[in-house]
Amino acid sequence: MKLVAVTACPTGIAHTYMAAEQLERVARKLGLSIKVETQGAMGIENELDPDDIKEAAAVILAAGISIQKSERFEGKKIFEFSVQDAIKNAEGILQKVKEQIGS
Amino acid sequence: MAVEFTFDFPLPLGLHARPATFIQEYSQSFSGQIILENLRNRRIADPKSILSLITSDTQFGDSCRIIISGEGEKEFADNFKRFLLEDLKLKEEKALEVRPAAVALIPRLVLTEKEIYLTGQPASPGLVSGKTFLLATGFDWENLLGEEAGLAPLSPQAEKEAFRQASRQVQQEIERLLPEKNGVERNILQAHLSIITDPTFIQRIMTLIDQDKCLASRAVYQAAKEFSQQLLEAKSQYLRERAADIQDVTRRLLERLGGSTPSRLKATLNRPAIIVAEDLFPSDFLSFKPELVQGLVLEKAGQTSHTLIMARSQAIPAVTGVDQATRRLQVEEEVILDGNRGVIVVTPGEAVKRYYQREMETENLLRQRRQQQATLPGRTADGRKIEIVANIGRPEELPKAWRDGAEGIGIFRTELLLYGKPTLPTEEEQYILYKTVAEEASGRPVIIRTFDIGGDKPIPSLSLPPEPNPFLGYRGIRIYQENYELFRHQVRAILRAAVFGQLKIMFPMVSLIEEVRWLKEKMTELSEELKAEGLPFKDIIETGIMLEVPSVALLADKFAQEVDFFSVGSNDLIQYFFAADRSNPRVRYLSQPLNPALLRLLKGAIDLAHDKGRWVGLCGEMAGDPSLTPVFVGLGFDELSMSSGFIPEVKAVLSRLKTGDCQQLVKTAMEAATATESERFLQQFYQEHFSQEVISHELVDLCADCRSKAEVLQEIAIKLQLAGRVDNRARFEQALWKREDDVTTDIGFGLAIPHCQSEAVRVPSIVVLRLAQPVDWQSKEGLMVDLIVSLAIPAGEKVSQQLALLPKLSRKLIHEDFREALRHAQDPGEVVFLLKQATS
Repeated sequence: MKLVAVTACPTGIAHTYMAAEQLERVARKLGLSIKVETQGAMGIENELDPDDIKEAAAVILAAGISIQKSERFEGKKIFEFSVQDAIKNAEGILQKVKEQIGS
Repeated sequence: MAVEFTFDFPLPLGLHARPATFIQEYSQSFSGQIILENLRNRRIADPKSILSLITSDTQFGDSCRIIISGEGEKEFADNFKRFLLEDLKLKEEKALEVRPAAVALIPRLVLTEKEIYLTGQPASPGLVSGKTFLLATGFDWENLLGEEAGLAPLSPQAEKEAFRQASRQVQQEIERLLPEKNGVERNILQAHLSIITDPTFIQRIMTLIDQDKCLASRAVYQAAKEFSQQLLEAKSQYLRERAADIQDVTRRLLERLGGSTPSRLKATLNRPAIIVAEDLFPSDFLSFKPELVQGLVLEKAGQTSHTLIMARSQAIPAVTGVDQATRRLQVEEEVILDGNRGVIVVTPGEAVKRYYQREMETENLLRQRRQQQATLPGRTADGRKIEIVANIGRPEELPKAWRDGAEGIGIFRTELLLYGKPTLPTEEEQYILYKTVAEEASGRPVIIRTFDIGGDKPIPSLSLPPEPNPFLGYRGIRIYQENYELFRHQVRAILRAAVFGQLKIMFPMVSLIEEVRWLKEKMTELSEELKAEGLPFKDIIETGIMLEVPSVALLADKFAQEVDFFSVGSNDLIQYFFAADRSNPRVRYLSQPLNPALLRLLKGAIDLAHDKGRWVGLCGEMAGDPSLTPVFVGLGFDELSMSSGFIPEVKAVLSRLKTGDCQQLVKTAMEAATATESERFLQQFYQEHFSQEVISHELVDLCADCRSKAEVLQEIAIKLQLAGRVDNRARFEQALWKREDDVTTDIGFGLAIPHCQSEAVRVPSIVVLRLAQPVDWQSKEGLMVDLIVSLAIPAGEKVSQQLALLPKLSRKLIHEDFREALRHAQDPGEVVFLLKQATS
């Protein structure tokens, strides 16, 4: 199953990247494929292209703020979490997303 | 024949004290009579009196008539009209550009520990813990009156004489004090002097004595009350402070007139204490033994009040604007006064005491650091000598200059000796003064710049005609031929004093070779005069000129054959070069120290001078800006002269620069097209050669003794300030807390990543603390934390290479093996290595 995610936080220097790293790490552990775009102090990195989004079964938004270019996800199944949740409980988040899509 | 004109008063705030001061200063330059009549209320005022102008109650748009009579009335009338309609407004606009009032930054611990605290505006930095000393509140005017002492009024004649005598005595008292006092205290005494000699003030007192047949003290009281009432009713903080000056002078007068002694200082200060008062008159402040005043807590004193200016110059911590301080604090109460944050903590508990103990240790370290930097030699890393010297205006500034590490005096602006003096100083007075300076310099070089006066700075003792364009007019050496005695006495005094030390002489506003030749010819004549008179003097004295007119820069090789050195007066040079008045806010954008045109001009001039074996200094304001030091080294300056406060930091920067790198920078910047472009080159230079890496071992503590989250954040701020990466740790700490308030930064695994972006940060930095004991991070989940990785980012930092490290580090922290490696590191060096590896 393919997923895409966007992480962002107000300062954009720490949580954004920690959450991205955590989601990638746990997804690997759970055997999921995920591409995470970061919107932080470095601007948008690892940007999701239309193909990524089209192929993805769901979009995970882990952001403390409103994200840029959110119109790209219109019509997709979107799961929103806080950026802290993504760091502290990435496994729970991914399991939940997996169950809801599967059902 | 009188000349008159009418005008509508142009200032929206009306004719209050500040513009009154400007008008008064301007009017002094005219020897005849001037009358201002407000046509709305028919009040008459004397523009030579500040109080008279204020009491004319002139509002915005009031139509006023000016009547001028006396010699040169027509010309003065034209200039005065232009002054009133144009210059006055510019001056006022400039004065209104004030900084917003500083606000208190309450340490978080003071709040969480539920301490009793008071807040105000930080008014003089520093920290002190001590016991309070409360001054009786209020100024009891009535008690000062002679009536209480049972005196009956004599004849108006006798009362007037009594007033004149008292006024003379106070004047003498002030004049006696003046030579002993340094800059700030001197200004205050001079302000007092101007009130006591104010014609309107005196006139009002005389009228009251005649009218009411009362005691002179009653009349003084009444007049002072009227004037200070008007000032106090004003909404302006500035005016209220001037009311305090009037009250202070009045008290001096009333004491002379047989009033009882003032009640407010009945209690004497005989132990070190923190003084708590509603307001403190400068004379009260001066009456305390300086070593007993630990700090000031004031209810009303304004930031620009003379008392607070003195506190800052003596490094006494102070907080002002503390509401009800005299009622909310008890006598002999233990308090901590935090002049950095504007907070007073009352009978602090253990946790807060511990916090402040650490703060005070840090202040001491920072002070020591400054002292160390002050003793550095003025030399680049590769050994090129650049003399770092101080600008002074008065001999009293010398001790501070030496303390700050000045290697000499790059410019002694002698014209300050002329201000506020009714007569010109004699040769003998000047000789004694320059001799003292030469001796106090004990072998260090001192450059005495001869009087630089002109139409923009009226000198009461010298009647120079006001002119439409004083900066392009009759000033500097241009006036010496016509005022030959002024020039003669000063040069003779300098030549005589040069026997006692290494004095050099420098002339302002030179634009032509002929001028230098005339100056040198006259100096030779004066030497011969002295020889003939048999007075000891030094006939060979290094002679230099200010380089402030572009013509001198372009012809520097020819000038170099006539003089021994040059000193660039950058303020004037910039305004002449870009044809823009620096005091005019509308054209201030043209003052561009890094404009490539200016760099080319300077580089050319310095090269020409060096070719002829002459040295070149810089004594303008920008010499003290440490961020520009690489540019000055690259241009080839041999000497930098600045306000002494900047010396330690400039020396520290200099000691890290290599001449070749700086020359390369200047070469590149000279090829830029705009100042913005060359500024970018300077930024790049800092990043390449100078800026610190984001991590260094002084930012790592593997056994931090922090007992709470508050102490952790404090420690991060302290580490960064001690490393020179944060310049105001109180503000930085506040920014960290603000981020924690959004969402706490603990991320689990015993790790917290407190971080912020703040203007207080100079260099992007990482701090790593491993705690001796875990602390509660006060998060929702109540997690304990024992490892802290903190990130500090400058405000507005664009995407830079350094910033790019932080995301890498953040990602790495997610991995347990990396966290464990940090936890088990043996020494700070290992942590630095791990972080560098993680972010490479």
